[in-house]
Amino acid sequence: MDNREAKFILNAYRPSGQDASDPVFDEALKQARRDPILRRWFEESVEFDAAMTEKLSAIAPPVGLRENILAGVKITCFARWINRFAKLSIAAALLVTATIASLIWHNTRPAQLAGWQTNALSVISSLVRNESRFDAQSRSAGDLVNWLRANHAPATEKLPDNINKLTSIGCKASSWNGTPVSVICFMRPDGGLVHLVTTAVTPATATGAKSKPIVVHKGGWTTATWREGDKIIMLALEGSPEQLRPYLS
Amino acid sequence: MNENNFQRLVDQHYTALYRFALSLSKSEADAADLTQQTFFLWASKGGQLRDRSKAKAWLFTTLYREFLRRRRREMRFPEIELETVREEEVSIPPNVKAIDGGTALEALREVDEPFRAPLTLFYLGQFSYQEIADLLEVPIGTVMSRLSRGKAMLRQRLASKEQSLGNKIVRFESNQREESHG
Repeated sequence: MDNREAKFILNAYRPSGQDASDPVFDEALKQARRDPILRRWFEESVEFDAAMTEKLSAIAPPVGLRENILAGVKITCFARWINRFAKLSIAAALLVTATIASLIWHNTRPAQLAGWQTNALSVISSLVRNESRFDAQSRSAGDLVNWLRANHAPATEKLPDNINKLTSIGCKASSWNGTPVSVICFMRPDGGLVHLVTTAVTPATATGAKSKPIVVHKGGWTTATWREGDKIIMLALEGSPEQLRPYLS
Repeated sequence: MNENNFQRLVDQHYTALYRFALSLSKSEADAADLTQQTFFLWASKGGQLRDRSKAKAWLFTTLYREFLRRRRREMRFPEIELETVREEEVSIPPNVKAIDGGTALEALREVDEPFRAPLTLFYLGQFSYQEIADLLEVPIGTVMSRLSRGKAMLRQRLASKEQSLGNKIVRFESNQREESHG
């Protein structure tokens, strides 16, 4: 074995000495003990490697990464627990909603809604038509809220009581003109869907918003929008104001 | 796997995975995303792994595959012809200990990707050359070759950074002297 070959092998030798008992290194190590030039190279090489290992081990992960991993995976696990029957029910509900949506949505767009609201309804429409996918899925709305928070998307401090009782399906984070908007979709007991939209208070989103819900019925959709602290909340469903009203308490 | 076991798995490996991801990706955000995605994949597929002692290897292999998958999607990058990369005899920078962690990481990230992955795994100190070969799914000889060439590239990068850092230090000392006399 010449020095070049020995160097080739010793480059794989870890500086902590963990590989000392590996027979692959035996001959190269012996050669390094015999040959002063190779020994010097090896000592410097180990020193260099130890310094690099030390530098690398000093890198700390960003704050919150661990929590994001745990929160995100919890949601993934919940999504797996959705049994086949539930999936079929959701698919059926989405199909019915999509059919109705496609009939109404194209003809009558909600003229009295602000830009961000129209955009949010488009996002919802695209979800129910299966043209886009949820960012996270869970039957627990609390987990979806945590996921949105962990991903810096707007999330309500407290879900409306009657919404909190519903089974959630999934959530999606998007933005309108640079303002983050999030949507959580829920299953209603009658098989339909209801959607909770949250965005931040900005001059564009807060126009006319008050602490009491303002209900708008247009194009087959009913929305109720109100201000809650620094957030604007909108509940939306395809149906009448009477169908939405129970969820406003 | 229950929640406690999963949490233990995350605590054991997320830091090293993040460091590996950081050496591969363009930014801290990409590295965090890769690390997160790896655990998502564990949650959805890792449960099929019967031998739990292989969880660490599974996580590192998955992170690397995920990195390659994203990279392929981003662009059709030309495969580096390993034969064309010259392994040069580069003297070891004498002041490597004096180089800060950020500079060392920067130099590591400048090493061509096929060499960077085995090199980072080597410097994480948790894997032997055989384990690195298993993780990256390449022959042992290839790992040794990539370590050898990767280290040569890294030393080159560090040497040039050390030189530019040295120049900056001279200028700084000169200014200090002027101020104290003024």
